[in-house]
Amino acid sequence: MHELPQNLVNGLLLGATYGLIAVGYTIVYGIVQLINFAHGEIFMTGAFGALSVYLGLGSGTSMWIAIPLMLLGAIVTSTVIAVLTERLAYRPLRNAPRLAPLITAIGVSITLQQLVWGFYPSAKSPRVFPSLPGGPFHVGGVLIQSADIFVVVAAVLSTLFLAYFVRTTRTGRAMQATAQDPDTAKLMGINTDRVIVIAFALGAGFAGIAGVAWGLRYGEIKFDMGFLTGLYAFTAAVLGGIGNIYGAMLGGLVLGLVQNLTAIYIADIPGMSQFSSQSWSSVWAFVILILVLMVRPQGLLGERVADRA
Amino acid sequence: MTDTTTATVDNAPAPGTPLLQASNVVMRFGGLTAVNDVSLTVNTGEIIGLIGPNGAGKTTFFNCLTGLYVPTEGTVTYKGATLPPKPHKVTQAGMARTFQNIRLFHNMTVLENVLVGRHTRTKEGLISAILRGPGYRREEADSRAKAMEYLDFVGLANKAGTLARNLPYGEQRKLEVARALASEPGLLLLDEPTAGMNPQETRATEELVFAVRDRGIAVLVIEHDMRFIFNLCDRVAVLVQGQKLVEGDAATVQGDERVVAAYLGTPYEGNADSTTPEENQ
Amino acid sequence: MTDTLQIRPEAAAAPKPAIPLPTAAARAVTAAGAVLTAASAFLSWTYSSQFPGDLTLSGYPGGLQWITFTGGLLTLVYLLVGYGTPGLRGLAPGGAEGTTVILAVGAAASTWFTLIAISVELGGLANLTTGGWVAGIASLLAVVGALGLPRDGQHPQGHRLGALLYPGKRPELAPAKRLAPAFEVGIVLLTLAAALGVFAYGVDTSYAELFAGFLILAGFAAWALNRSGDFARLGEIMQRHRVLATVGAFVAAGLFPFTQTSSNAEANANLGVSILIFAATALGLNIVVGLAGLLDLGYVAFLGVGAYTAALVSGAAGTAFNVQFPFWAAALLGAVVSGIFGVLLGAPTLRVRGDYLAIVTLGFGEIFRIVVQNLDGTSGPNVTNGAIGISNVPDLNIFGFDFGSAHSFGPFDIGRFANYFELMLIFTAIIVLVFARSANSRIGRAWVAIREDETAATAMGINGFRFKLLAFALGATLAGLAGTVFVHVNYSIVPDTFQFAGPTPPNSAFLLAAVVIGGMGTVSGPLVGASLFFLLQAKLSFLHDYQLLLFGITLILFMRFRPEGIIPNRRRQLEFHESQTEDGQEGPTPELRTAEA
Repeated sequence: MHELPQNLVNGLLLGATYGLIAVGYTIVYGIVQLINFAHGEIFMTGAFGALSVYLGLGSGTSMWIAIPLMLLGAIVTSTVIAVLTERLAYRPLRNAPRLAPLITAIGVSITLQQLVWGFYPSAKSPRVFPSLPGGPFHVGGVLIQSADIFVVVAAVLSTLFLAYFVRTTRTGRAMQATAQDPDTAKLMGINTDRVIVIAFALGAGFAGIAGVAWGLRYGEIKFDMGFLTGLYAFTAAVLGGIGNIYGAMLGGLVLGLVQNLTAIYIADIPGMSQFSSQSWSSVWAFVILILVLMVRPQGLLGERVADRA
Repeated sequence: MTDTTTATVDNAPAPGTPLLQASNVVMRFGGLTAVNDVSLTVNTGEIIGLIGPNGAGKTTFFNCLTGLYVPTEGTVTYKGATLPPKPHKVTQAGMARTFQNIRLFHNMTVLENVLVGRHTRTKEGLISAILRGPGYRREEADSRAKAMEYLDFVGLANKAGTLARNLPYGEQRKLEVARALASEPGLLLLDEPTAGMNPQETRATEELVFAVRDRGIAVLVIEHDMRFIFNLCDRVAVLVQGQKLVEGDAATVQGDERVVAAYLGTPYEGNADSTTPEENQ
Repeated sequence: MTDTLQIRPEAAAAPKPAIPLPTAAARAVTAAGAVLTAASAFLSWTYSSQFPGDLTLSGYPGGLQWITFTGGLLTLVYLLVGYGTPGLRGLAPGGAEGTTVILAVGAAASTWFTLIAISVELGGLANLTTGGWVAGIASLLAVVGALGLPRDGQHPQGHRLGALLYPGKRPELAPAKRLAPAFEVGIVLLTLAAALGVFAYGVDTSYAELFAGFLILAGFAAWALNRSGDFARLGEIMQRHRVLATVGAFVAAGLFPFTQTSSNAEANANLGVSILIFAATALGLNIVVGLAGLLDLGYVAFLGVGAYTAALVSGAAGTAFNVQFPFWAAALLGAVVSGIFGVLLGAPTLRVRGDYLAIVTLGFGEIFRIVVQNLDGTSGPNVTNGAIGISNVPDLNIFGFDFGSAHSFGPFDIGRFANYFELMLIFTAIIVLVFARSANSRIGRAWVAIREDETAATAMGINGFRFKLLAFALGATLAGLAGTVFVHVNYSIVPDTFQFAGPTPPNSAFLLAAVVIGGMGTVSGPLVGASLFFLLQAKLSFLHDYQLLLFGITLILFMRFRPEGIIPNRRRQLEFHESQTEDGQEGPTPELRTAEA
């Protein structure tokens, strides 16, 4: 009796959060071919931005008012920080060797983490995050928290918005053009600097939403929560095919499922009973990543990138 | 001497025997056919030209020959053996190339660039590099001597210590040739060797290609510059929209109406392979 | 003033000094300032002996006053060089005036650092005596005078403050004459002795203020010597006597424990051996990152693999295997197992695009820690004793030499950590040898070629995958080797040591930073980077909470302003010179320019 439906739901919910973060990795990578290591920290600062708004509202504010304001706070915080890092740290290195921006990204990641750790009030230990009222609901034997509903709604709406934005707006098309060929896009009059900033901002906004979702689901946030989560989200982006925004969502869902299901079902494999606990789930996530890279390096939805000669 | 393979000057087959044979090569990218049923033979001691308008699929064809792409259909053999579709194995087998947009190792010296070209003709591994036994020292000294010889051949011996990035454009092209020659090829493939050169430099390149041939190395050259190619080549093949239009000596090709049309612009419908990934690199 | 590239500054109309003074007056002011600065070290600077180092005595400089004294003296020396003093003239081939400015500023900075530290720690400027004020004002006087000297070197144009104060860029040096061989050998030995002295002094600084003051002056002095061209000249001489310089450097390093006679000797030796382990590991990483251009973000895990392997076969209580290998076998096993892990990890990932490698290695680093933590008997089979780790790793005993106890060599007592220091020095020498020789060979050229342009490298017949895997595995092997010593030095090993980023070295981020900030692709870069990192975190413990923050910012700034690191890659220069010396063949004309990319 493994309560399969419950685990599927949990996996998908976790995956949706990964997907929201993975979108940021994938957009930025698609346009500037940079693994923005600091994106996990952008997610984390979003959560702290939301917490700050909540604390500023004073007790007794209805969650129905607080949540939109917190979301706004998260998105603004994440976006501002992401745009600033792009402007100050990455842009000057646009034409530098590949390693340089990657190392800068590591520096940004550590810096952001330490800034929150050192200067956000009592952030050296986990901070309690508000929770949504109502729930839990029982749907056919599956226990669902109200925060879970938030995650689903946020993920669906965000994906729809992104699809609309990229497909139909001028900026969205400019982004597609820049991703395909930045030099030609520039010649066609596209302001690539602006496109890159928008890519960072868009990814950061999604990360901010994910930060709120994370806080609501787990009830607490921590300065270093962006590191591992960001790593998983990047894995999800690669899994789905980096550069492909739907792939990022799909990869997130797959990864979330893998993590939840391995925690239960590995034990059924003879001789593996000890490897099923939660503490092994991250190991399995990376095993999946390596397997995917071996078998289908372009990811689930990615297109094969021709070797540039 | 090191493990010099069959590709060296000394034991090259007699002139006139087929060296490279590409038969019915087709290369498709998705729905796009960049190279369509092209056959080409290069014999020892020959200089063969490959011309065609921009986007005709010349470089794609080149990449099929050198193992960068695996042809969708058709075979490529070198000295009768099918070439493995791996660039490094192609070089090992005895075909060396240069690039349309020069691809040197910019932060290495001129000498080091050529030494990298010696890679397939040397074999000392990590352990012997660390132990530095007499065998290693001999091979390294031999390599350096050979590398200097090739530099001397292209006229860059006095620049051996310069970083490749600091060379002027024309000399970078020469260095690419020296680097390719260092792998002791039987066939040298040159991808637009005179692109961006002035007439004097083009003339010097012509001399260089003849000198390479005189060393017993066959040459296949892609070029836009008609005069250059007709002065140089024993045979010329014309590629238009992925297909071989005509092949023959300079007079035959120059006299062919279709070639004139392709170059001087009869209605050129569609741009069948303007998106070939190679052409805009 | 269009052409700023003058080799002989006098030839062109030199730019006006930042402070308009007659040259003679400027020299006099500088000299007076420098002499007074040095002399002020002999005065009392404060009333209270509470400030560490006791700066209350007249006639007996203490701690930070020696730093000021050295600063003043150095300023004076280079002023005299600029004045054309016989015997000193060769000391500044790149121009003495800019050098003097840097040194004067360095002396002032370290002096004022001391004065401010006194005021802050003792509560107010009132704690400074006349002597302290003399020091402060004299050092500023020297700066004013130096800024009035005629300017040399290449200067940015413009009249903004920054451009005026900038001490100029070193012009390209004319080729130097060779000195008498005996004289050159003397210079090599003297340089090594000086380096050992400076390093030993830095390690032995017993309080944070002294170390900070030392670091300020040392930083400015290094800049000054680079500006003056002395470093370049020394480099040339070292290059000519490469074997002597290398062997000498290791002998000097081996003498380090013998310079430590204070009560801190063991602690300093511990610091020394930690630096060596860290540096050796960073050097291994430099093969992967610096030569082959592969970004490995989980490198510390390979150190961990080696360390755990050695611990498991060390006979330590509580391990899964109750065996005790002799150390040579354990070291070999650790290296080999680590290398195997490198291959296992590299084989699937090195075929795909380079960026993915970064993330996979980062994941591997985390997995390693988690797995080791889980192999505790509850979450998994008991192999590594989980989060508690393996403790009581026995001390080494090689050929009857017990590393765990102190030994006397004549008047010197060499303690436990010093024993390990000497052992690790041998390991470091091996790793340096492996790095230098593989870098400078067919293999190393293939790595650099792949880093520079993989497609072109493949077209030259290099099997990209195989050589990348070789670099990856070699790096892992070397880290594993360092790990086997690491575990014995520290008695014990716990999974938490092997994080991506943490407040204490070694961790993957610090290792990478040591390589990047030290200088990618060089031997000395990671050594310098490792020493700096270790000393900074060990000595400036008051910064403990902000260490990682500063570290992150440093990483960003370095990538922005000096991506080539402290010691830029002169590999090509090395290679070039080797072709002349080793093979005895005629080298090409020395048109050398180091890449600063």
